Amino acid sequence: MSDARIPDSNPFVEVATHLFLEDLAAKVGVAGLNNYLLSLSKNLAASMPPEEYATWAEFLGALREGHSILATFEEVRPVTERCMATLRSPFERGWREYAKRVGAFANVHREVAEYYNAKVRPTAVTSLHIVLNTFREAASLRIRVADRPVRYEPIATVWVDGTKRIPVAEKLDGVLERAGISRTKLGMLLRNHSDVWLIEPA
Amino acid sequence: MLDVALASLIEDMIEKAGADGVVEFWQRVGDNLASRMGKEAYLGWTSFNVAVREGRTAFSIEGEVTPLTDMAITDVDGDVVGYLYAMRQCCYVPTLVRTRYSIGQMSAADRTVAEEYNRNVHDIAVCNFCVFHERFREEIAKNISVAGNPLACHLLATRGWSGERKISTKNLSKVNINEEHVRALLRNYECVYALVMRGARLKGDR
Repeated sequence: MSDARIPDSNPFVEVATHLFLEDLAAKVGVAGLNNYLLSLSKNLAASMPPEEYATWAEFLGALREGHSILATFEEVRPVTERCMATLRSPFERGWREYAKRVGAFANVHREVAEYYNAKVRPTAVTSLHIVLNTFREAASLRIRVADRPVRYEPIATVWVDGTKRIPVAEKLDGVLERAGISRTKLGMLLRNHSDVWLIEPA
Repeated sequence: MLDVALASLIEDMIEKAGADGVVEFWQRVGDNLASRMGKEAYLGWTSFNVAVREGRTAFSIEGEVTPLTDMAITDVDGDVVGYLYAMRQCCYVPTLVRTRYSIGQMSAADRTVAEEYNRNVHDIAVCNFCVFHERFREEIAKNISVAGNPLACHLLATRGWSGERKISTKNLSKVNINEEHVRALLRNYECVYALVMRGARLKGDR
């Protein structure tokens, strides 16, 4: 991250938080953990200041420079006017530290993602994607561009270990058309980006 | 991002389980993490301190730890049975800065948990993360042996982001370290702890 952005967290805090969530899951189960993750992501977005931009170009500039709340925790690269790509998952450092110091990621992180995929929308590989998707969705509702609200939709995710999550074929074409990219372009982006997502006027 | 979101999770848990419940929860998480990190053994203090410098020990998960090799702890026979260790930056400071720049202000839940811990467990916490952190270090120390002796960890002093200092007179007395020495260390470091061989008879022990 460049100096203009907020500093990186200490990955130990993230590892501790993962353990915190695992302990929580042991108490409240996978459905309960899913609810906690949804709630904490929405609360996080709600606690951040709302934003307004005069034009879409100004909004894209804020995303690129890391000034928008949507770019607070991740480096966002606009690919088209509507299609955004995240270079590295904001959870990658914490996950790497976890794998290095603690061992394999606890299964519950994937189990809760499967629960979310079945109940909310099929876009998560691990518990962390529930946080990311819910946060982006809630944060985008706090942004107005030319007096119009903004809407977020995930397109594809690749986790650090290479696991991909892409919408089913019939849904994918519609989303890609709105994003202004082709399937081939999506494949190219997923080689070296962690997330590809859509942002558009609501 | 998860680190910044954690504050809202803690707020929620305080409502459900109270600040004392969060303290217990954090301590259990410290136990769990330590238990998953495995055992380590070192031939002697030199090899352990090199491992700390190179970031190879379980303590290294916290970030950069400096072994203060000029601050040895000796036993009644004058043998070295421990050292002081320090972190220039508290693990939680980046999260506090990130919270400042993303949200504006850290949740009051952070202070509530720290105060609960200070009142009822050990008056050393400057943020909620200290609660987890102290227990985690105590537990991993048990899994590390130096020259065949398992270690004990004593958290001695902490300095918070806003400059607040906490010094544990209880733990200082266990390792025979002068409070003024530790106070001086807090100018350069934000977290100071001692690692000593478990069961060692220190000078002044009865």
